[in-house]
Amino acid sequence: MSARQASSASQTPHLSPAELSYIYTSLSLPNTPIRPDGRSSTQFRPLTAETDILPGTNGSARIGFADGTQAIVGVKAEVEKTVVAADALDLRSISRQAQGESLARESSEEKESGGAGEDGTATGQGSWVQMSIEIPGFRDDDALPVFLAEMMREPLVGSVSGGSGKGEDGEMAGGLKGRLVINRRWHWRLYIDVLLLSQPLSYPLPLLSLTTHLALLSTKLPKLKSQGEEDPFFDDDWAAAEYLYPRTRTTINTPKPPSQNVRPPITLLILSAGENIIFDPSREEIAVADSVLAVSITRDSESDGLKLLSIRTVDPPSRLTQPGVANSDNVAPLGSTGAAEEASLQHPSVGGEEEMAGVWRPRRGGVKRGVIARIVKMVLKKGGVGEEVLEGLEGVEVG
Amino acid sequence: MPLDTSTTYPLTKLRLDGRRWNELRLLQAQISTNPASSGSSYLCMGNTAIMCSVHGPAEGKRGDGSAGGAAGSAEAIVEVDVNIAGFAGVDRKRRVGGSDRQSSRIATTLRAAFQSHLHTYLYPHSTISIHVSVLSSDGSLLAAAINACTLALVDAGIPMPGLLCGCTAGMSGSASTPRDPNEDSLDPLLDLSLPEEQELPFLTVGTTTAVPVGEMALDEADAEEEEMKVSMLNMDSKVHCTYIETMLAVGIDGCKQIREVLDGVIKGR
Repeated sequence: MSARQASSASQTPHLSPAELSYIYTSLSLPNTPIRPDGRSSTQFRPLTAETDILPGTNGSARIGFADGTQAIVGVKAEVEKTVVAADALDLRSISRQAQGESLARESSEEKESGGAGEDGTATGQGSWVQMSIEIPGFRDDDALPVFLAEMMREPLVGSVSGGSGKGEDGEMAGGLKGRLVINRRWHWRLYIDVLLLSQPLSYPLPLLSLTTHLALLSTKLPKLKSQGEEDPFFDDDWAAAEYLYPRTRTTINTPKPPSQNVRPPITLLILSAGENIIFDPSREEIAVADSVLAVSITRDSESDGLKLLSIRTVDPPSRLTQPGVANSDNVAPLGSTGAAEEASLQHPSVGGEEEMAGVWRPRRGGVKRGVIARIVKMVLKKGGVGEEVLEGLEGVEVG
Repeated sequence: MPLDTSTTYPLTKLRLDGRRWNELRLLQAQISTNPASSGSSYLCMGNTAIMCSVHGPAEGKRGDGSAGGAAGSAEAIVEVDVNIAGFAGVDRKRRVGGSDRQSSRIATTLRAAFQSHLHTYLYPHSTISIHVSVLSSDGSLLAAAINACTLALVDAGIPMPGLLCGCTAGMSGSASTPRDPNEDSLDPLLDLSLPEEQELPFLTVGTTTAVPVGEMALDEADAEEEEMKVSMLNMDSKVHCTYIETMLAVGIDGCKQIREVLDGVIKGR
């Protein structure tokens, strides 16, 4: 049982079928969902955030939700030698010249197999970003932390934005992977360690994602002094360090805070109940969800809007809940066993197809195409939820 | 390393970070930092920063399986979980599988110290679980963890006879030969930082105040002069036995100073 629960969205809270049915009915009221905590469907829980809390890290952030769940993220960077060295490439080209055309195909296949490494010298590799999540009560190789880490790492390394490569102020060619390249032989390795300080009261994905976002924004790397293909040599003045996500330099008297063209992606948790779409669900709401989606977005540097990076479905715990029993199927009020048998003959299976009002049926997952389309629209549209969240995070003073 | 305590200290009588032998690092603490737990605290000693949260006393986890679990016991079981964050040290530490040796040693020591220190008999069949996260480690980890746990347990309202305070003390040299009473070249050092811990012998001492009982409790004059009791002593390094007494005395004195700070934090609420 515990293994099953660990892999699903969060531990099922102890709610009776009647309660589940009640929450589901109020969440799926057409157009006007009523949430247990009185929020509107796009409203997030209040949170407090601070950055640069740990002087020993390259970047760090803490976010606490009002319900007391807190997360701390520390980012550390190390210089590392790029594994596929330049001489390996030379050898390959030499062998191609020596052995002629017949073997060229083979060597090109070999080149493809080592393709990731070769790309690495130019554009960086996803494996240079490592993420580990520490949740109290879970081992770090349990399904939940591993799945969460991968779900957040993937859009992070996958987002290639601002590829114009003009070297403009506040541009980041090749995305995060490109930023980690120092030169052909050296690169940065980024360790993102996420600590959840309390037991997860709800699915911790939004909390961890927002904290990681802020920590990455406050991450600084020492300024490179060496040039080109030299062994890297850095300025030891930390005040001269450069932000991992570059910022546009603004003069001090401009009233607006320095805006950033490139920002790390954020992942939002969204659930659907009936036709309704609900953002930042609490634990009770997840327990009755038809489906739970993790949507990653980032700012699109070319246009001013937002960009969708990924949508993942998260296994909702609602399928593990106990079904309710309709009054007509209930043995207890009927008194005699004979009547009960009769009743069970009349209503052959409890897991019948039809929905009965007020009787909880475990959700079987699945989401309508139209609902997904509406989710994407709500997140991405101008003045939509995604913009609201990113603007809220921009309000946090970084660095 | 050109600058280490054993070479520079005899010349300057100042330690690497500029302290004298009997000075503590800056100690700051807060309690009730995490509303989701029964009690929580944040404590930093110099560059060592620790967050601690306490859950319970609560019914033990079901399905623990072990026969000696909390369910059948006459007193509360203290569970300690120590997590040293990957970003805590200077270099990012790689860990393979679960926990490392250092954090499990600290956890064992803390569990033993608090199991006997707290009034656990008041909570039969229950579990007090303590979760310690080390955010930044710069020496005296065990001592800082003890202080953080004490604060969190006070915040959780779990009764104990007195504050359990921890402190480290070391010697300013290897101290491997018997002490020469005529020529005392080595000084004891209080509250070691990480570079000092790595080169010098040190011990961690935890003390508590004895609660005055019986006739002692009535004696108003003696109430000021509280009696200190050593309730925990831990030493991993090698030192000649003639130095132990000095180190202990300095460590106990450090605990007294720490107690005043922790007292201030608790009463400041």
